[in-house]
Amino acid sequence: MNPFSIIWKFLDRTYHRLASPREFYTIAQYATPIFGFLSLILIISGAYLGLFEAPADYQQGDSFRIIYVHVPAAWLSLFVYMVMATASAIGLIWRMKMAFVVAICSAPLGAVFTALALITGSIWGKPIWGTWWTWDARLTSELILLFIYFGVMATYYAFEERKTAEKAMAMLSIVGVVIVPIIHYSVEWWTSLHQGQTIFAEGGPRMPADMLTPLILMIFGFMFFYGYALFLAAQNKVLTQERKARWVRELIQKTGNQR
Amino acid sequence: MNTLFLYFQREWKLMFRNTGTLILPLIFFLIIALLFPFSLPAEVSLLQRIGGGVIWVSAVLATMLSLESMFQADYQDGTLEQMVIHHRELSLAMMGKVLAHWTATGLLLTLFSPLLCMTFNIPSDQIWVLFFGLLLGTPTLTLIGAIGAALTVTLRRGGVLIAIIILPLYIPILIFGAGMLSQHAQGLEIVSQIYTLGAMLVLALTLAPFAIAGALKTTIN
Amino acid sequence: MMLNPSDSSSCNSDVHRLEVSDLECVRGDITLYRGLSFSTSGNRCLHIVGPNGCGKTSLLRQVCGLMQYDQGQIKWNKEFTPSHTEYKQSLAYVGHKDGLKNELTAFENLQFYQRLNSGNDEEEIDNCLARLQILKCADLAAQSLSFGQRRRLAFARLLIADKPLWVLDEPFTGIDVDGRTLIETLCIEHLQNNGLILMTHHQSLANSPLSQWRDELNLEEIGKNQ
Repeated sequence: MNPFSIIWKFLDRTYHRLASPREFYTIAQYATPIFGFLSLILIISGAYLGLFEAPADYQQGDSFRIIYVHVPAAWLSLFVYMVMATASAIGLIWRMKMAFVVAICSAPLGAVFTALALITGSIWGKPIWGTWWTWDARLTSELILLFIYFGVMATYYAFEERKTAEKAMAMLSIVGVVIVPIIHYSVEWWTSLHQGQTIFAEGGPRMPADMLTPLILMIFGFMFFYGYALFLAAQNKVLTQERKARWVRELIQKTGNQR
Repeated sequence: MNTLFLYFQREWKLMFRNTGTLILPLIFFLIIALLFPFSLPAEVSLLQRIGGGVIWVSAVLATMLSLESMFQADYQDGTLEQMVIHHRELSLAMMGKVLAHWTATGLLLTLFSPLLCMTFNIPSDQIWVLFFGLLLGTPTLTLIGAIGAALTVTLRRGGVLIAIIILPLYIPILIFGAGMLSQHAQGLEIVSQIYTLGAMLVLALTLAPFAIAGALKTTIN
Repeated sequence: MMLNPSDSSSCNSDVHRLEVSDLECVRGDITLYRGLSFSTSGNRCLHIVGPNGCGKTSLLRQVCGLMQYDQGQIKWNKEFTPSHTEYKQSLAYVGHKDGLKNELTAFENLQFYQRLNSGNDEEEIDNCLARLQILKCADLAAQSLSFGQRRRLAFARLLIADKPLWVLDEPFTGIDVDGRTLIETLCIEHLQNNGLILMTHHQSLANSPLSQWRDELNLEEIGKNQ
């Protein structure tokens, strides 16, 4: 047997396991504590290193340290959108129930990350730029992203029939994928005041290692936190959606007896 | 192509039987634009500067307002069902319908925009820039908006939802459309904006019909 | 449960055939039916019965391809599913909604459907209107027609298209005795031409002229058997 077919078999099995609500729930039960633990460790260590160990910026002083919340949140706002759109596409194309669950549970999380990025950005902007808000490219496109998240959620909750709601939401998030880059570049063209890329700049990161390490720790910490929150929300959603299924009733009875 | 033409023709016939509703978006457009002078200091130079942007915003709002009715009537009387189950390609059919809808909203607004420009004292060379900008931009507005309209057609109060879904997606068109005017006012080249608006129109023309058809098939359930 | 009405009636191989297997319909949290299988073929009229809310209309909409289904199969002539063009070309549907434009006249309404089906014959439209005894309303706007006249106009659409599979949802609602007889006659003619009919109707068709062509599918019993 060649290695590709082994990998393919593995993927195929994982896919089928993930596609069933019950299996998904079981996998999520194992994944949730792992993700939670990892995010806790990463965020605590990242925050410690970032707030106490990293040197102060020679221009911005200590106020730059908000970067350890701002940048991960901004990254996650886009990352979550990509996850949501990919899950939506999988759901629409292969009619996979759980993909829609992942997509709809991602939307509020993404909105929160976006809002966090906006808020921390504006707090950061006050001492550095001297203003809470400016019509700068990144700020504006982040704000639009927030509205798109709201639109996706509003679409989902507007429909009574769940399947229709899921599909409508999925379509909207896919339409968003086409338009978000256009929005981003149009806004960028429009005006830009925001500082350029620092991590993936040409010729390596323009940031000393002791500043960069905590940032990367924080980004991964945020990602694991997103995974943790997503699994929790998805478990909740699965239980509500499948509340009539036998395995859910058995589960409720079992946990009820334990108390 | 025949499908597109058939639906275009049908839509036109329907629109001209309903002249009352046909001109509503236009009147809305004019009123919105003419509200701005009342809320701003009475300076000719200020109006001249912001006039183009005001007209663009009014065009966006008027287009959006007309979206809710785009598929609603067809849904309620059951003709939409018949279109969905018919063997002719739904995306082409909807493209015909949306284009016809555009002639009654976007095109009509564009034709009347020079009139508004005059009330804002916008110089005549700028009027042409605005006119072509609207001509290129409004079909994209209608096409993108139709996706939102198709997604919300079965909802009783879909109007607000359309606004929430669609308005953020309109921002690039607004930026380039209105940006074209300010560029031109500063005496700069506007070719790149024209190309961008054109590119967005082509993109919308190719992708939106499929999204509209998909959305209708999903929501009509 | 399997229903096989066609076994006795015909063994003609080029007769149209509609097969539904293992179909499921879930609305919200309620499963209306599951594992629904039946098949029907040319010159039979399948009458779907059952109380309100048992999924009669849903079944028709699934057969029309208006409502999507996660489980099961719908096959026309063994190969085409509702999303195939060949399937759609064979299908005509009259639902609760008439599918008529109020602004257009009766004639124009039919003309649009005729053109959609690539026809262009004004005489044929007049003939269809005459068959349904609404020729006198040909130039009236659809909104000024009575409910019964609108229903008749909706049925005229079936005649203009010449499609083998008719899906009729409560065809006799709001129509007078004359109209009912008329529609029954049209259905019989359609069946005699090897057409298929799927219909829902709350009353039994036992006393109707259609009875000899009719098979019954009781959705409620299927629900109970599960």
